[in-house]
Amino acid sequence: MAAQRPLRVLLAKLGMDTHTVGITVVAHALREAGMEVIFTGLKQTPEAVASAAIQEDVDVVGISTLSAGHTRSLPRLARLLREQGAQDKLLVAGGVIPEEDVPLLEEAGYARIFTMGTDTREIVAYLVQWHRSQRDREPAA
Amino acid sequence: MSRPGNRIEPEASEAQEEAQRWERETRAPFVASHPERREAFVTQALKWPIQPLYTPADLDASGFDYARDLGYPGEYPYTRGTQPNGHRSSLWTMSQVTGFGKGEDWARRARYMLEQGLQGLILEHDLPTTNGYDSDNPLVEGEVGRAGLAVDSLEDLERAFDLPFERLKYLMSVCNAPQPVNLAMIIAALEKKGVDPRRFVVHIVNGILIEYTCVGRYIFPPVHGLRIATDCIEYIIRNHPNWAPISIISAQLQPAKANPVQELAFSMAIAMAYIDATLARGLPIDTIAPYFHFVVNVDMDFFEGICKLRAYRKVWARLMQERYGAKLPAALKIRMMTSPTTIALTLQQPLNNIGRLAIMATACALGGAGEAMTTPLHDEAHSLPAEEAIRVGAALQHIVAHETGVADTIDPLAGSYYVESLTKQIETAAMAEIDKIQAMGGALKAIETGYFQRALGREQYERNRDIEEGRRKWVGVNHLVVPGEKRQIEIFRADGRVEEEQVARLRELRARRDPEAVAQALEAVREAARTGANLVSPCLAAVKVYATHGELCDAMREVFGVHTPDSQLTGV
Repeated sequence: MAAQRPLRVLLAKLGMDTHTVGITVVAHALREAGMEVIFTGLKQTPEAVASAAIQEDVDVVGISTLSAGHTRSLPRLARLLREQGAQDKLLVAGGVIPEEDVPLLEEAGYARIFTMGTDTREIVAYLVQWHRSQRDREPAA
Repeated sequence: MSRPGNRIEPEASEAQEEAQRWERETRAPFVASHPERREAFVTQALKWPIQPLYTPADLDASGFDYARDLGYPGEYPYTRGTQPNGHRSSLWTMSQVTGFGKGEDWARRARYMLEQGLQGLILEHDLPTTNGYDSDNPLVEGEVGRAGLAVDSLEDLERAFDLPFERLKYLMSVCNAPQPVNLAMIIAALEKKGVDPRRFVVHIVNGILIEYTCVGRYIFPPVHGLRIATDCIEYIIRNHPNWAPISIISAQLQPAKANPVQELAFSMAIAMAYIDATLARGLPIDTIAPYFHFVVNVDMDFFEGICKLRAYRKVWARLMQERYGAKLPAALKIRMMTSPTTIALTLQQPLNNIGRLAIMATACALGGAGEAMTTPLHDEAHSLPAEEAIRVGAALQHIVAHETGVADTIDPLAGSYYVESLTKQIETAAMAEIDKIQAMGGALKAIETGYFQRALGREQYERNRDIEEGRRKWVGVNHLVVPGEKRQIEIFRADGRVEEEQVARLRELRARRDPEAVAQALEAVREAARTGANLVSPCLAAVKVYATHGELCDAMREVFGVHTPDSQLTGV
């Protein structure tokens, strides 16, 4: 039953951005909190990430971006997931994202943007809370 | 003065007894009424305990021997420096990183930096180029010219090299995965500009093994990455003997949170992988070793930084002599550039970074700056460097060099009980780690199995946790925070026109060049990739007929395949 299993998170990086320290720290923190973390590897296209998210049946898709490409690639990924009927997955992003770009990403379907310097405990707490709210919404087995 | 044999004597030395007496009679009673401000004092990255006091007893206990451990400047084991006269005859070369936009933009910025008194430049390519794609590849949309110079063809470098070459001592280029292509472009562009390659030093970083370890800008599987790097080393040694074919950028391991022991051990193991591969090309160690060059970062822990630099020189000398039987002094002397690290800098209260940079640059100078020092800029964490920041950054090195006196005597901290104890501890731990890596099959195996990547991943997580949980104080981040400080992040958005123009130029070039010559040249590159012949010569022939960077990388992709590591192999 989906509600019983640990939260499954796909972490991904899009395009040419190969900075991995942030995503590594987040991956370790999520695993430490008992979540299952899958990493797509570097230099992915939005198409590849969307199909990995569906194949791996993850609950959450998290994108790390430290390159200015986020205003194009992130909305594209959200659209691809919607088009493939995967709109139930929680979409979040983090990294070097200027404040002024946050509304655009939220509108595109990202539930939360974790800007630079976000405490990993805040990310864990947010995902745990979301997971709980999902369970509450599901009918009892 | 202790002799090597002394340390095994069971009785405590006089020095030890005195130190114990002081502890008992003077310090302990004081601390009883004035508790220490921290539960434990440890070094910043290694987290090794720091004693309240270091005395001759600590040197005795570690078996320290002046002649064996330090020697004299310019003599084995070079702990006190590779130069016989330190920085008294000449200072280190002062440089800064630059690189963005189209060729002419880069040339404009580079000329400005030379006018500020800098003598060395570092050419950073944009991510499409570094990852082996042309500017019109759909994968790289939005990245062209953003993080560095966009190079699609020889014409782009011809534009970038519109420089007063007589003022420039060296040009360092960072473009690791497609290195034979990059090297070929540089050689061809200098030829076109009529620059005598013997009067000018080109450093190619050629650091693909660190890309697999932590930076991520790889293309081909590691074994092929090592082979093409070796092609470039061999080509330069045989054809441009005054150039520098390889830099081990420890300064990339360090921002990936390698602690000083990992940084030293991983970079030496990586150097040994290149050395072994180059020896296999029939070049002797005394010829190869002098070409190796290291770029080493210093972080905010003053003494870890200083001691690490001293240990680097000694460990290199020992490895070359003990493991490879090198004999020439040039082979035993490490060539090094030092740099304050960017990861100590904060987005918050950016002016504080000037203070941090001054402290780290001073540590570099005290540890022995090497042939060159490069300083990042105080505003780097939040924006593309402003010209004022470039000026402050250049001035900073001059302040350290001319106003503090740290460069006026050689290795001024030698003999410090703490510095010598920590230098020796770092050396010993690094040698043990190098042995461990060699036992698992060397650096290539350590990369192929993800050993390096996972070790760094753990350090990254732990360092972050120490900061989040307040064990490590960082001004502006978790200490002396300015409430409600606006954190302006200025990201350099690619000027859409740069990409458009670059793509238009590329298409125009493809239309006007000789397609048959290009096709033939590309086939020669594929052939060399298959047979194992050195790739630089066919790449040089190909760039001269204007085969593009991406086309040349594709030719090699067809033969080598591409590297697609999973979570275990990336350490994520």
